[in-house]
Amino acid sequence: MTWPSALWSVTLSVLFLAACDAGPPRGAETGSAADSASEDQAERIAAEAYRQAVVAADSVAHEQISESSRYGGTIVVAGRNDVITLNPLVSTDIESVQHQAHVLFTTLVRSGPDFEPLPYLAHEWTIDPEGDRITFHLRDDVYWHDGVPVTARDVAFTWQRVVDPEVPFFNPSYFDAWEAVEVLDEHTVRFTVRPRSNLLYGWAVTAIIPEHILGDVPPAALADHPFGTVSPVGSGPFRFVERIPGDRWVFEANPDFPEDLGGRPYADRLVYRQIPDDAVADAALRTGEIDLIVDANPASAQRLSADSTLVVTSFPAAEYALIAWNTRRDPFTDPRVRRALTLAMDRESIVDVVRGPYGSVSAGPVGPWHWTYDPAWEPFPFAPDSARALLEQSGWTDEDGDGVRENRGVPLRFELFFTPRQAWMDVSTIVQANLADVGAAVEPRAREQASLVPMVTSPDRRFDAFLVSWARDVPLDDRDLWACDRVDDPMQFTGWCHPELDAVLDSMQFVSDRESLRRLTRRYETLVADAQPYTFLFNVETVLARRAGLRGVGADARGTWASVTEWWLDTEDRR
Amino acid sequence: MGIGDRVVARYGGPTLIRYLGRRALQAIPLLIGIVTLIFLILHLAPGDPTAVWFNPNIPPEVLDRMRVNMGLDQPLHVQYLRWVKAFLSGDFGYSYTQFRPVRDVIGDALPNTLLLSGTSLLVIFGVGCAVGSVQAVRQYRLTDSLLTFATLFLYSMPGFWLGLMLILVASTSLSWLGLPVSGMTSVDHSLLGPVGKFTDVAQHLVLPTIALGLASAAGVARYMRGEMLEVIQQDYIRTARAKGLSERTVILRHALRNALIPVVSLLGLYLPLLFGGALVIEVVFSWPGMGRLMYDGILARDYPLVMAASFLFAVLVVIGNLIADLLYAFVDPRIRYE
Repeated sequence: MTWPSALWSVTLSVLFLAACDAGPPRGAETGSAADSASEDQAERIAAEAYRQAVVAADSVAHEQISESSRYGGTIVVAGRNDVITLNPLVSTDIESVQHQAHVLFTTLVRSGPDFEPLPYLAHEWTIDPEGDRITFHLRDDVYWHDGVPVTARDVAFTWQRVVDPEVPFFNPSYFDAWEAVEVLDEHTVRFTVRPRSNLLYGWAVTAIIPEHILGDVPPAALADHPFGTVSPVGSGPFRFVERIPGDRWVFEANPDFPEDLGGRPYADRLVYRQIPDDAVADAALRTGEIDLIVDANPASAQRLSADSTLVVTSFPAAEYALIAWNTRRDPFTDPRVRRALTLAMDRESIVDVVRGPYGSVSAGPVGPWHWTYDPAWEPFPFAPDSARALLEQSGWTDEDGDGVRENRGVPLRFELFFTPRQAWMDVSTIVQANLADVGAAVEPRAREQASLVPMVTSPDRRFDAFLVSWARDVPLDDRDLWACDRVDDPMQFTGWCHPELDAVLDSMQFVSDRESLRRLTRRYETLVADAQPYTFLFNVETVLARRAGLRGVGADARGTWASVTEWWLDTEDRR
Repeated sequence: MGIGDRVVARYGGPTLIRYLGRRALQAIPLLIGIVTLIFLILHLAPGDPTAVWFNPNIPPEVLDRMRVNMGLDQPLHVQYLRWVKAFLSGDFGYSYTQFRPVRDVIGDALPNTLLLSGTSLLVIFGVGCAVGSVQAVRQYRLTDSLLTFATLFLYSMPGFWLGLMLILVASTSLSWLGLPVSGMTSVDHSLLGPVGKFTDVAQHLVLPTIALGLASAAGVARYMRGEMLEVIQQDYIRTARAKGLSERTVILRHALRNALIPVVSLLGLYLPLLFGGALVIEVVFSWPGMGRLMYDGILARDYPLVMAASFLFAVLVVIGNLIADLLYAFVDPRIRYE
């Protein structure tokens, strides 16, 4: 199949997807425990059409530019963080993982706009009627950049390493339902699996690594092996050229990348540069030193969008911000107090100040980026009067008239921890003012991450409340956050748990059809909303700022680089 | 005894070697003290190296495994002894955050920092001494007043702010100069010839060098002005003028060299400041050097990296001070090594 280019019209894309959907993922038709790909087809096609529309709208004015004249030039991308390693076994940061999945390597499958598995290295897969064995049929025209073909042995080897207890692979849950592997021939590999929702997702984000290079390395030595940092060899649309540590990674187009998977990318070279300071990145974008800032600062984005040579876009990111309440401690033991505190916060203003147009008030753990998101699910309103009433009800009154409520002589006063970032300073200032209005005194406390994390994760939980934002993963496995039997585990900060939620979260890991998963997610949100162990603050949109001459950047929650092979530069913008 | 003999007496032979040997021996307890102190501060400060992976998608068991891999499950004294043992055998270990040997990580970054600090040092003392001397010679005239204003202004500027302002100006009203505002090389650097590569790095050096060096240069200028004024009033300067030497010779040969003596001692003082300043300036200009490494390393509690980098900085400062002392003797014939 051909990955459509930006030039294609919306109609063409829809036709294309319809054709593609009728094809490979036969697992769906067997109705097995695996990801069901046939669900919601119409909706998915619509979503893909939307994505294509975004890309197409960008290049409407450039339709006269023929496909063949898009080739060439060096695209320079800048981000705040370095790409630390291209070793897929040990990466957690988004830049590294994206470069592995989309730039240097290939993955077994890749994600569609709703994170449904689409063919990639595996051109098709079949699932046994019992649903316990899955067979991947690999393409025979994908090669490692040193010329060796990518085979079933590489896939088996990758799996053996990610589940090896000596390898610190960060997302073992991706593969905890995968039990055994069998290489049937050069291009066929069969796995034994147990039922699991999002079964194939791990294969869409974990790049296949070369057995012929890493096969002899002891598993414990893989994390620090120079393959990841000095001499990576991939199989993807771009080849590794050089790395200047702390500064840049350079890749060049792979002319031998299969035509069916998009063929040779448009850009001759792709460079990733680390520019830690936002103001400097802005300046570099204006001077043309770089073409694209990933995750631009929302405050500067508004200034940048005023520049006619630049374009600012955004997409919903898998990230939300929250305040976690330590429900082991008073006053947060009382759910009414937690609800009151949420009602008292003007979260619209918080979004305005911190994210500008690039965010929205969050109602729960699932944001607009995820296909289970329900736009009808309303966040708590900003209602200081209801907050005051709730606090009165739960016994908190201001008896001495000092503006801070007391309950049996104990004032409603607590510390709010956060890492020293401008955004959190702003949030804590607003929260402090909002809560002062209803008679609660907040003492903001900034702590750097390395000392804040042990405070909130260690068993004595030395905190009242803390402010954090984090990126979530497509499989919604939040048992570490809420499960009653993990209440003493590091990530169970709040100490709040609920037997029904335990059951819901467990079921969410094993249902295969998307409608059930949606229903369970609704229940999850309802239970958490009632109890308010977190106050969900806002959903984040990732902001991209680019030079207008860089085309085809159609990013969504799958990541900025998901469309990297379609990026191209106007002739006059090529360097 | 001719001049040549005196130089040999002061710089050659056993005296100098004995002196250097003694200084090196003195440095050993100092360095041990420094690294032990850094080890204690790092490990006693609250913090957890796995906090960089604070993420609800990563199960706690994985982080526990990382801690064991890092040796953090051992008691502090065991960690210290292990570290000292490895360190003495030249093994700096693996960086927690970079998945690379610390030796390689530092090997990549140190030359870049030395380049930036070196050029800044030239600016600090070159520009500083020149401006200070001009001011002294033109005391109380317009040049002096203007330069006094300029140096005081620059001296009170924080380096990072100056850096940001330079970037702002270079990317807007001075963009026609084409000065790069970030990084050390252009994207096409590897395709350039030797001359092109040199020019490319030189262009990238301009702004960070100014940001790092200018404030200190202003400080040196203030100091130099004072010294020079004092020297110019000495009897031997009057004598030199009375002998009929040209003003140029009087200032450059007689006055400048004597005024430099105390200024050179500033070198030892400025080196630690320079490395400290580079820490900030490198972050501002995305310069791939030690400063950024340290900054990120400290925040992430990357113990092996921070320990090795601090040790190196300590060594560099000790060496810098030694060089300052040697230079001191070079410009002042009255000083002898004992």
